[in-house]
Amino acid sequence: MTDGTIINPPEDRPSSLWRDAWRRLRRNRLAVAGLVVLAVLVFVAAFGPWLTPYDFLSQNLDARNLPPSLGHPFGTDDLGRDVMSRVIYGARTAFLVAVLVTVVAVLIGVVLGAIAGFYGGRFDKTLMWVTDMTMSVPQLLLVVVINASLKQPISLWMEARYMETMNPLYRNSAIIDFVLVFGSMALISWPPYARLVRAQVLSIRNRPYVTAARALGLTNRIILTRYVMPNAVGPLIVAISAGLGTAMVLESAFSFLGIGVNPPTPSWGNMISDGLRVWTNYPHLLLAPAAVLAVVTVAFNFLGDGLNDALNPKGQK
Amino acid sequence: MNALLDIRGLTIDIDRDSGPARVVDGIDLTVAEGESLGIVGESGCGKSLTMLSLVGLLPNRIRATGGVADFAGKDLLAMSSEELRRLRGSQIGFIFQDPMTSLNPVMRVGAQIAEALVYQSGMAKPAAMERAAELLELVGIPSPRDRLMAYPHELSGGMRQRVMIAIGLAGSPRLLIADEPTTALDVTIQAQIVDLVRDLKDRFGMSVVWITHDLALIAGLADRIAVLYAGTVVEDSPVDVLFERPTHPYTRGLLASLPTLTDKPMSRLPSIAGTPPEPGRRPPGCPFAPRCALVTAVCTTSVPRLAPVAGSAPGHRAACFVTAGEGAS
Repeated sequence: MTDGTIINPPEDRPSSLWRDAWRRLRRNRLAVAGLVVLAVLVFVAAFGPWLTPYDFLSQNLDARNLPPSLGHPFGTDDLGRDVMSRVIYGARTAFLVAVLVTVVAVLIGVVLGAIAGFYGGRFDKTLMWVTDMTMSVPQLLLVVVINASLKQPISLWMEARYMETMNPLYRNSAIIDFVLVFGSMALISWPPYARLVRAQVLSIRNRPYVTAARALGLTNRIILTRYVMPNAVGPLIVAISAGLGTAMVLESAFSFLGIGVNPPTPSWGNMISDGLRVWTNYPHLLLAPAAVLAVVTVAFNFLGDGLNDALNPKGQK
Repeated sequence: MNALLDIRGLTIDIDRDSGPARVVDGIDLTVAEGESLGIVGESGCGKSLTMLSLVGLLPNRIRATGGVADFAGKDLLAMSSEELRRLRGSQIGFIFQDPMTSLNPVMRVGAQIAEALVYQSGMAKPAAMERAAELLELVGIPSPRDRLMAYPHELSGGMRQRVMIAIGLAGSPRLLIADEPTTALDVTIQAQIVDLVRDLKDRFGMSVVWITHDLALIAGLADRIAVLYAGTVVEDSPVDVLFERPTHPYTRGLLASLPTLTDKPMSRLPSIAGTPPEPGRRPPGCPFAPRCALVTAVCTTSVPRLAPVAGSAPGHRAACFVTAGEGAS
């Protein structure tokens, strides 16, 4: 039988899309560098409490504003706290915020975008209207508004819970900060994901294999989840990688402005903010968190670019 | 023979901003139980749309606007989309034109065949995979059990089309609609696919509708051939009668343009001058009149109906005032 031959012999079967993409990604040095930096970040964020030489809160008023030394690689701040320990804890904050915000934003965006693109109609029109609205308002402004309008009710609710349960967890102001930061950032971050997924779904839903799946009598839900979405994840992964970096910068920006995570919880943003006031005298207080933030952001962008090339074989030079 | 599918007066319109444009204009077709019908016509004559309309798969802005399509006694055009969904795959199977793009690239072949069995007939997954292996064997794929785990891009075009056929057959449909399934394949493989479908048809006693623009290819498969032109059936005939006594001038033109072994080398193949009318710009009389060599006055004013060809075999019908002998409307 002439057509009984197989193009690839079974032994090099693993030429699937993902394996090819991984191979291409590994050839991209910048992307690998980004991946390494991010691996270090994840490790540091995960094991922070066991890595830090000092507690991030413990003050040593005899050792204030020390320049970097062997004992304090990044120096100490105006309260004598070890800056490196605080940067490491800041990594936890940044990472936690970035991951949670991105997960929530991606979930909302993927679900809404997929439904809008697949079914179209009035839902699609409404969604596009909402995304246009959200994306046309400056992000900072929107976060300030959401923060301001939500802080009061959430604080009241937490206080009420505390009175009910006497659980000190409800008096932890850091939790309110996190909830507010997550909530408001997720609320402004999902529209780009929704648009991306919608555009993907729009182009994929008319492909022949989707028509073939319809001709098999499969339900819309199965067609959407098994035929359309798996073919749409490539660009989404790229967007997520870039989005994680953006979320970290956003969190720092909000904390810098004092509407994000509040002291004493360390965040790169509020460390930069504190450092800025005294940078002429103690440049290391600004430099340490700012440099780490910059390196991490660049790493995310390198990885995103690399993924973009790796997952898009037609764009290969 | 009992008619499994009986289409009468089907019309399909495209919604254009300038108003609806008719692409299928009153098609009558019947397919008997166990019969295979070839539908022949050039691109844009409405042959694919006719079949897609039956199962509710018309693209956006294209709608069936009139007529009846009885399938096993029920009008398909009057069914809800949910009823049609249940019918697809289980009663009416499809094979599509391009095996390169009609398989989900990120799903293993076995899973794609088992899909309909699991989600449509509620079969357990292991049983469905077992059945998928049987189907692959049935369509002539060697070592089917290994191929279940292959991705579509690991298979050749002919293999992929065999997989498509296996998917089309998975629900044991009573009617298999093959929409130009060999157009994208090499000539040698085309013949293999035709043979395969004929075997399977005989084995399972299903009816087959084979859409093509290749008259020669389908001669070996079809019991009957319907020739479509500009959204209407211009000739409908048992296959041997059609080749022996083509009646409509368009059918004659199609047959004359097939190369034969006795043609003089380097001689030009005859072609039909002109192009078919665009949807919505149909001439008032016979749609073929502007290209027809035998055109008469009546052809440009009234539309010929499909009518028995005088003096030919029973079941041979053509829509022509000049050559069919009778049937002026």
